Amino acid sequence: MSIVDLMSMTKPNLEARKKILAKLKGKELANCFQCMKCTSGCTALKLLELKPNEIVKLVNLGFVDELPNSDIIWTCVTCLKCVERCPQKASPYHIIMALRNLAVEKEAKVPEGFLKAVSQILETGLAEPPQKIVTRKMETVDRECLNLPKIRFPKESFQAALMKAMEEK
Amino acid sequence: MKVAVFWGCCIQANQYAYEMSLRETLPKFDIDLIDLRETFCCGDPVKSMNEFAATFLAARILALTNLTGLNNLLVPCNRCHFTISEAQDTIKKDPKIAKKVLELLKEEGLEYNPNIKIWHTIDLLHDLVGLEKIKNAVKNPLKGVKIASHVGCQIIRYSDLGRVDNAENPKKLDELIAALGAESIEYPEKLDCCGAALNRSHPDSALSLAGSKLKAVQNLNVGGMAVSCPDCQLMFDAKQKDAGTTVGAKLNVPVVYYTQLLGLALGIDEKKLGLHLNQSPAEELVARIHG
Amino acid sequence: MARIGVYVCHCGLNIAGVVDVEKVAEYAKTLPNVATAKHYTYMCSEPGQKLVQNDIKTHKLDRIVIATCSPRMHEETFRKAVAEAGLNPYLTEIVNLREHVSWPHTHEPEKATEKAKALVRMGVARAQILEPLEKHKVTVEKKVLVVGGGIAGIQASLDLANAGFKVYLVEKSPSIGGRMAQLDKTFPTLDCSACILTPKMVDVAKNENITLHTNAEITSVNGFVGNYEVSILKKPRYIDEKKCVGCELCIKVCPVKVPDKFNENLTERRAVYIHSPHAVPKIATISPEYCLRLKLDKDVCGKCQAACEAKAVDFKQKPETVNIKVGGIIVAVGSEVFDATRMAELGYGRFKNVITNMEFERISDASGPTGGKIHNPKDGKTPKTIAFIQCVGSRDKRFHEYCCRVGCMITLKQTILAREKIHENIRIYVCYIDLRAFGKGYDEFYTRAREMDIDFIAGVPSEIHEKPDGSLYFDVYDKSTNKLVQINPDLVVLGTGLVPNRDLEKISTLLHASRSSDGFLLEAHPKLRPLESAVAGVFLAGACQGPKDIPDTVAQASGAAAKAIGLLSTGEIEIEPLKAVVDKDLCSGCRICESICPFVAIEMKTEKVKGEEKLRAEVIEAVCQGCGACSSACPTSAIKIQQYGNKQILTQVDAGLAEACAEGGK
Repeated sequence: MSIVDLMSMTKPNLEARKKILAKLKGKELANCFQCMKCTSGCTALKLLELKPNEIVKLVNLGFVDELPNSDIIWTCVTCLKCVERCPQKASPYHIIMALRNLAVEKEAKVPEGFLKAVSQILETGLAEPPQKIVTRKMETVDRECLNLPKIRFPKESFQAALMKAMEEK
Repeated sequence: MKVAVFWGCCIQANQYAYEMSLRETLPKFDIDLIDLRETFCCGDPVKSMNEFAATFLAARILALTNLTGLNNLLVPCNRCHFTISEAQDTIKKDPKIAKKVLELLKEEGLEYNPNIKIWHTIDLLHDLVGLEKIKNAVKNPLKGVKIASHVGCQIIRYSDLGRVDNAENPKKLDELIAALGAESIEYPEKLDCCGAALNRSHPDSALSLAGSKLKAVQNLNVGGMAVSCPDCQLMFDAKQKDAGTTVGAKLNVPVVYYTQLLGLALGIDEKKLGLHLNQSPAEELVARIHG
Repeated sequence: MARIGVYVCHCGLNIAGVVDVEKVAEYAKTLPNVATAKHYTYMCSEPGQKLVQNDIKTHKLDRIVIATCSPRMHEETFRKAVAEAGLNPYLTEIVNLREHVSWPHTHEPEKATEKAKALVRMGVARAQILEPLEKHKVTVEKKVLVVGGGIAGIQASLDLANAGFKVYLVEKSPSIGGRMAQLDKTFPTLDCSACILTPKMVDVAKNENITLHTNAEITSVNGFVGNYEVSILKKPRYIDEKKCVGCELCIKVCPVKVPDKFNENLTERRAVYIHSPHAVPKIATISPEYCLRLKLDKDVCGKCQAACEAKAVDFKQKPETVNIKVGGIIVAVGSEVFDATRMAELGYGRFKNVITNMEFERISDASGPTGGKIHNPKDGKTPKTIAFIQCVGSRDKRFHEYCCRVGCMITLKQTILAREKIHENIRIYVCYIDLRAFGKGYDEFYTRAREMDIDFIAGVPSEIHEKPDGSLYFDVYDKSTNKLVQINPDLVVLGTGLVPNRDLEKISTLLHASRSSDGFLLEAHPKLRPLESAVAGVFLAGACQGPKDIPDTVAQASGAAAKAIGLLSTGEIEIEPLKAVVDKDLCSGCRICESICPFVAIEMKTEKVKGEEKLRAEVIEAVCQGCGACSSACPTSAIKIQQYGNKQILTQVDAGLAEACAEGGK
C-alpha cells in the first residue's frame, strides 16, 4: 500500500484505472499536467461545480471508487470544450463517460432520465415517443396532421441486438 | 441527388419544424431525401450507460444506410452527427470493437459500410450545395435583418474527429445566413452551450444555461437567433419561457431553424416551414423580414 | 592464414549482466583462425587496450575482433590502440553486444548469449577479409561561414576572428542584431539589451577578419568538410553601401508607409528605411515590394533619390553573387515567435489589447513605438490591470509539444519592468501552468517578482472575451485557492514560445543538416555533441538548434566556434577511407550510381579504354559519405564501399546462418 487518502482512508483502485485507460485508446489521461484550461472553460463549473481537472487527477492517481457514486459525473454538459483545448489531449469528457459506464456497471445511482430513455429505446427504438405539440395559436398538432411521414419503428431483431450490445463491458 | 437521411429521436418526437423545413427546402436544390428502413436512437443517451452499445447503434444506422445503396447520409441533429461520427472513427481505429460490432450486425443480416460520408445540414448546404446556388435561389432576401447564429457544440468539436466547421471560429452558418441577405453578427457568447445535455439529470441547470445565452442575445437587439440542431431549438425555443423564469428575465427572442429562414428566403409558405410551431415569437422575426 | 584475436567485453554489467561473456569467449576459441580469445571487464579502458596491444605482439595477431558496445562509442579508440601496436587500424572489427544484444534482450539471457555467439562468429568471418586502408589528408580553408547575424552568429564570428580565422558573416535582414536587438532588458540582470549587444555589433563591423554581408542569403553549398564552396546572394538594397552615411533624409520624404516588422508591426516605417535604431551597418534599404518606383516599375516618385545628398540611391542596383570557399559552416539562423492567431480562442488578432511578449518588449523599449511607456495599443492609456498568460503554443500537442524554455523568464522580466515603469499601484497577474526558473540567478529573479507584489495564478484560462464596451475579461481556475476567478485586464500579454525558423527547411536542404521531430536543427548527439550537426563541418549555434536564452546561446556560439577552430586549425584534416570506390573494369558507365548519390559525390569521366572512349564513374572521395546507396544500385557490382563489398557482407551473412535454424509462420 503506497498511498492512502487520509480524509477518507481510501486506497487507489489501480485495476479500475487500468480499465478506464484501456477504454480511452489514445486520449491521454496520464499526460494531464493540471494546466486548469479545461476547468477554466468548463460550461458546468459555475452552476454545478464540475472540475474536469480534479476528475482527471483522481482517476490518474487511482482514486476511482468515489466517482461512480457521486453526482458530479452526471453534471457534464458534453460541450466538448475540454477535449478541443486540452494541450495534452487528456480529454476529461471521455474519462467522465467511462466513469458513467462504470457507475452503471456497479449499479450506482444513475439519473432517472437516462434509465427512462434507455428503456424507451429498448421498447420502441426511440428515446421518447412522438408527441402532440401546441402551436403559438394554442392549436394541438401531431405528425399526421402536419403531413409528416409515419415513423418506421425498428424490426423485432433490434431489441435483442441492443440488449446483447448492452451486455458488453 | 439522392441523400439518405437519419432524423433521430428529438426531431421525430417533437421538433417537427426542422423536418418540415428540411423536406421543403432541400428539393429546391435537387436534393432528394431518402429515409432509412427503420428509425431508432443514434445512441447518444446510451453512451453514458454503455459506450459499446452506443457505437453499435450508430453503426447500425450506417449499416441501414448501406441498404439504400447511397454513400451520403444527412444527419440534421448535432448530437446524432457527433455520435455517428465518433462511432465511425472508433470502428476504423479499434479492430476489437469493430469485430464485435460487425458480428452483431451480421446476426441481423446487416452489413457495415465504412465509406459513408456523414453530412450535417450546415455543411450539406454550405459545401455540397454551395453559397452561390443558395444566393441565386433567394426570392425574398431577408433585408439585412440581424441574426445571432448559434451553431452548437457537438458539430464543431472536437477538431481531431473532423467536424463540420472550425471549432474556434466557425463561419459556415454565418455565411449561409448572409447568403439569404441577412446579417449574422459576432457576439461574445456565440459559442456558449445550450445546456440540453443536462435535461436528463439537471434540468434546472440546463434551463439556466439556455436562459443566460438568451438573455445575452436579447441584449443584442437582433431580429432573432438561428440554430440548426433540434436540442438547441428545444432549449432556446420550446423552453424559452421556463429558461427565462430560471434566470429571472423576461425573454422574448425569436428563435428559428436556419432552414426555416432559408425557406422564407426561397418564398416558401410559412406554415409549410412549421413557423407556427415555434414557441418563441417567430412571427416578429417574420414581420421584420416581410416589413 | 589470418591470426585473429577476439576480445569479449563485459562492459561492467551492461553486457555481462545478460550475456555469458565467458561462454562467448570460449566459443570464439573454436572459430577458424582465432589465435586467442579473451574476455575482460572494460575493453575500452587502458588495461583493456593494453591487453590487445600486447597480444598483437605476443600472438602475432593480424586481425582484431572486439565484441563490445556500439562502434559509434569506441571504434576510434580501438583503432588508435591497434595502430599504436603497429597493425593497420582498419583491420579491427567491432561486434556490438550491447545495443544489439544485452540491451534489447535483457530478459532472455540464454537466447542473448546464443545471439552474441552468432554475432561474434559473423565478426570473425568478416575480419578475415578486411583490407588494410589508409586515411588521407586533405588541406582545408581556415575560413568559416557564419549564417545568421544574431547574438549567436555575432559571438561565434568574434571568437573565430580573434583566433585568427577569416569569417564571412551572412545576415538575411539589412542589419545584424537579430532578436536580441528587439529586446528592452535581459533577464535576470535587467541589463539593457542594446547596451550589451551594440558593442559586439560594432566589433563585428570593425573586425578585419570578418566580412559582413547583410541583406544577403546563401543560395548554394557544394563541396565537403574543409573545402566548402558557398554562393552568397546579396539582395539589392537599391542604395550604394559605400555612399550611404545613414543620415535618414531619404526616410523623411518617402510617402509610403508600411508595417514595421522590427517593432512587431506596432508602428509603421517607410519603404526606404533603416532596419533598427542601432543598425549595423547603418545603411538605408529600399523594400522593392513597397517602393512605388520599384513595385510599379515606372518612373514615379523618386523623392528619396532627390533628397539624398550623398547620391546613394540607385534604383537600377542588381543582385550580386559572391562565391566563397570556407572550411566550416556555423548555422545561427535563430528562431521565430509562435503565431498566436493559431490559438483563436485567446483573441490575438481580434482584440487589440491582446499582445505577445515580443510586442510588450517593443513597447517597453525606450527606442520603441511608445518611447518606453507601457501603453495599451488600443487607446494608448496606461493599463490598470495586466494579465500574462503562459505557454501559448508551447507544451501543447495541438501546436508544439516542447517547452519554449524562455517564456517564464521573459514574463517575469516583463512583470518586473511593468511594476518599475508604472508608478500607480496596478495589478499584474501571471497565469501559469508550471513556473520554470532554472538558471543561475533565475529563481532569485522569481522571488524578486513575487516580492514586487505580482500575483501568480496557478492555472491558465480557456478563452478570452470582449465586453460590448470593448473591455477584456476571462475566467481562470486557480488550483491553489480552488477559486474560479474572472480577471478584467486592460492589457493581456501572451507568453508565445519560440518556434523553428521557417528558413530551416531551405537551410536543412542546402546543408544536408537534418531536423529533429520538433522542427529545430538536429544535433549530432543530444548529450555529447550538441554543437554540431551530423554533417562534418557544419556546426549549430543558438535557437536554430532549440529554443534557448541568451546565456545558453552565447555559450553554444563560443563552443561552436571552438569546434570549428579545432577542426580547421592545423590546416588539414584526415578523411576516413570508408568511402565508395569504383572498379573501372566492371563499370559500364550506366550512370545509375551518379543519379542515386544523395551527396552528388560521383562524377562521370570519359576514359580511353582499348582505343575507345568510355564513360566511367569516379568517386569524389572527400564528399562521399559512405552511405552505400550506389553500391546496392550498381548492376555490375562495380562500385562498392571500402570494407563493405559484396564479399565482405555475404561472408558475414553466411556465417550468421551457419548454425541457424529457420522457423516460420508464427
